[in-house]
Amino acid sequence: MSGFSIDRRGLLGTGLGASLAAGLGTGASAANPAPLAPGRTRADFAGAMKAFRGVVGAEWVFGDEDAVAPWSKTYIPDPAHQYKPVGAVCPQSVEEVQEIVRIANTYKQPLWTVSTGKNMGYGMTAPATPGQVVLDLKRMNRILEVDADLGTCLLEPGVTYQQLKDYLEEHKIPLWIDVPTVGPIASPVGNTLDRGVGYTPYGEHFMFQCGMEVCLPDGRLMRTGMGSIKGSTAWQAFKWGYGPYLDGLFTQSNFGIVTKMGLWLMPRPPVYKPFMVRHANMEDVPKIIEAMRPLRVSNLVANCNLMMSASYQLAMFKRRNEIVPDGAPLDEASLKKAASANGLGMWNTYFALYGTEQTVAGVEPIIRATLTASGGEVLTAAEMEGNPWFHHHQTLMQGGLNLDEVGLLRWRGAGGGLAWFAPVAAARGVEAERQTALAKEIVEKHGFDYTAAYAIGWRDLHHIIALLFDKADPAQEQKADACYRELVTRFGAQGWASYRTGVNSMDLVAQQYGEVNRDFNRTLKRAIDPNGILSPGKSGIHT
Amino acid sequence: MLRLYGGMIVLALAGPVAAQQRLGEAQASRAPEQVYAKVCGYCHGRNVGPILLGRHLPAETVKYVARHGQNGMPAFRPTEVTPAELDALAAWIAAAPARKEEHGQ
Repeated sequence: MSGFSIDRRGLLGTGLGASLAAGLGTGASAANPAPLAPGRTRADFAGAMKAFRGVVGAEWVFGDEDAVAPWSKTYIPDPAHQYKPVGAVCPQSVEEVQEIVRIANTYKQPLWTVSTGKNMGYGMTAPATPGQVVLDLKRMNRILEVDADLGTCLLEPGVTYQQLKDYLEEHKIPLWIDVPTVGPIASPVGNTLDRGVGYTPYGEHFMFQCGMEVCLPDGRLMRTGMGSIKGSTAWQAFKWGYGPYLDGLFTQSNFGIVTKMGLWLMPRPPVYKPFMVRHANMEDVPKIIEAMRPLRVSNLVANCNLMMSASYQLAMFKRRNEIVPDGAPLDEASLKKAASANGLGMWNTYFALYGTEQTVAGVEPIIRATLTASGGEVLTAAEMEGNPWFHHHQTLMQGGLNLDEVGLLRWRGAGGGLAWFAPVAAARGVEAERQTALAKEIVEKHGFDYTAAYAIGWRDLHHIIALLFDKADPAQEQKADACYRELVTRFGAQGWASYRTGVNSMDLVAQQYGEVNRDFNRTLKRAIDPNGILSPGKSGIHT
Repeated sequence: MLRLYGGMIVLALAGPVAAQQRLGEAQASRAPEQVYAKVCGYCHGRNVGPILLGRHLPAETVKYVARHGQNGMPAFRPTEVTPAELDALAAWIAAAPARKEEHGQ
C-alpha cells in the first residue's frame, strides 16, 4: 500500500489492506448473516435458491454473504443494518422471470425487483423488508425497438440511459433521451417506474411512458394499452388502450414485474439554448418561483427547470471543509463568499429554450424580462462558458450524461451518506418559502446542511433535499436517521408529503397518504399476490 | 493484438473500441477501455473520484472496491460489469499509464 499516493478524499488511500478484511464499511460480516423472510426456514430458502440455479445457472444466483455484498451497498441511513438482501437472482429473459416467479410462489420466497439498482439515496438494490432475494434485471438489457419517425422506443429494464444514447448516436437517429442525474448507470425503465424527473421538456418521465409488458405475480404476462391487441402498431403510440388505465398501478408498486416498457423520445430541436438565472440571496426563493410559474404553466419555458441552492451546487465539486472549518455551521456569509468565488448565486436556476432560430429569438426577450424583473441575472454560455456548474446543467438539459452529482457523497467526511427527501408542493412562492425555512430549521437542528434544489414542474415543485452525512460515523448515521424521520413527519403535518422515498421510510410516507389509500393498495395486493412474493414493503404496500 | 503492460498481458483493440449494440440483442462483452469510458471515467479523473490510471493499483484491489463500493462509491454488481469484464478491466487499470487530461480535486 505504501506505493499509493494518499488521496485527500481517502477513497483509495488509507488502510485499504485492513479494510479488505473488515468489509470496507459495507456492514457485511460472516458473523451477521442477513435474516430470512418471516416464517421461512433455511430449507425453504435453500430449495428456492437451488430451483433458481436450475433456471439461470449457478453463476447467476448469489447466496453467501460476500457474494451478496454488491447488492447490499446503500447510502441511506440504516443504523440498525436492516436493509439487507439475503440473495440475488439474475435472469436474462422474460421466460426466466416467469419461471423465477413460479418458484418464488412455491417456496413463498419474496423477490425485490430492481432494474439497474442505481436509485442512489433511495436504497439502490436494498429491499424494504428482511429476507428478500433481489431479482436483478440488469442482464435483460435489450433495446427492442426504436421508431425514428414516431419518436418512440421499447426497452427492457436493464438498459441504461448510456446504452440508449449510444444506440441513438451510433445509428444517427436524431432523438434525445431525458436523464436523471446519474444517467450513465441508471435505467430509463426503472427511473420511470419510480416516477423520476429529468431536465428536458420530457422531464416528467412517467408522462412520456407508453405501454408495458408485465409479469404478474402468478407468472402470466400482461401487456397494457394497445399491447394486448394482436397486430396493433400503436402500443408505443397510444397510451390509454381501453377500460381502466393500468400502467400507473405498476409504478412505485409491487403488483407486477415490468419486463418491457415503451417510452417517447424528444426529437432533437434545431436550436438548444441553455440559460442560468443567478439570484443573490437565500430569501429570493418566492420571487423566483412566482416569476417562473407563468412561464412554466404557459409552456414558454418547456423543460423541468432546476433551481439549485448554492450549497447543493458547491457540494457537487467541493468539500464542506473548504468553505467552513469542520464542526462549524455552514453560515450564509461563508456560503455566499464561496458561491461568488465560483460564479454562483445563492440560487441558480437552469432552464433552456428549444426550437428554431425564430421561435427562440421570439420567446427569449419575454423570458428575460420576466426573470430580470425578479431580481435575477439572466446568463448564457456567452457569460458562463467554462463554469463547471453551468456545464453540468447544459449537459443535462439536452439529455447528456455525467455523474457529477455523485460528488455530493464526499461533502461531509469520506463515508458516503445520502438520503433524498423530496416533498411536493404546488408551484407557489409562499409555499417554497415556508418549505425552505422548515427544512433549514430541521436539518440544522440535527447538525446537517440545507443542500437542496427545487425542480419546477409544470404546476408543481419537487423540493429535492439531499441529506448528506458521513456514513462511516455511526453517531452521524443515527442523527441522519432521526433527522430524516423528523423531516417526513413535520412536513407531513403541513400537508407536504414526498413524491418518492427510500426503503428507509416507505411505511412512514405511506401512512401519511392515509388509511383508505393504504387499504385499497393492500386489497389489490392480497388479491393478485396472495403469497406476498413481489417486493413486500415497496411504497409501504404489504399483503 | 497483444501488448505487454508492466508484466500483464492485456488485449488492446485496434481502432475504435465501441462495439455497437444491436436491436433486440443484449449488450455484448465490453473491452476494458469501453467499461472505463462508460462507467468508471465519469467520476475517476473528473473531479468526483480519485485518479486510478497510472497508479499501478493492484488488480485485486480494483476488483474488490468495484464490487463493494468503498465509501461514497456505489458498488457495481456482476450484472453491470461481468466477472470477465472486471478481470480484464482490473488488469488494464493496473497497467494503464496516466492520462494528462484526467484531474482529481
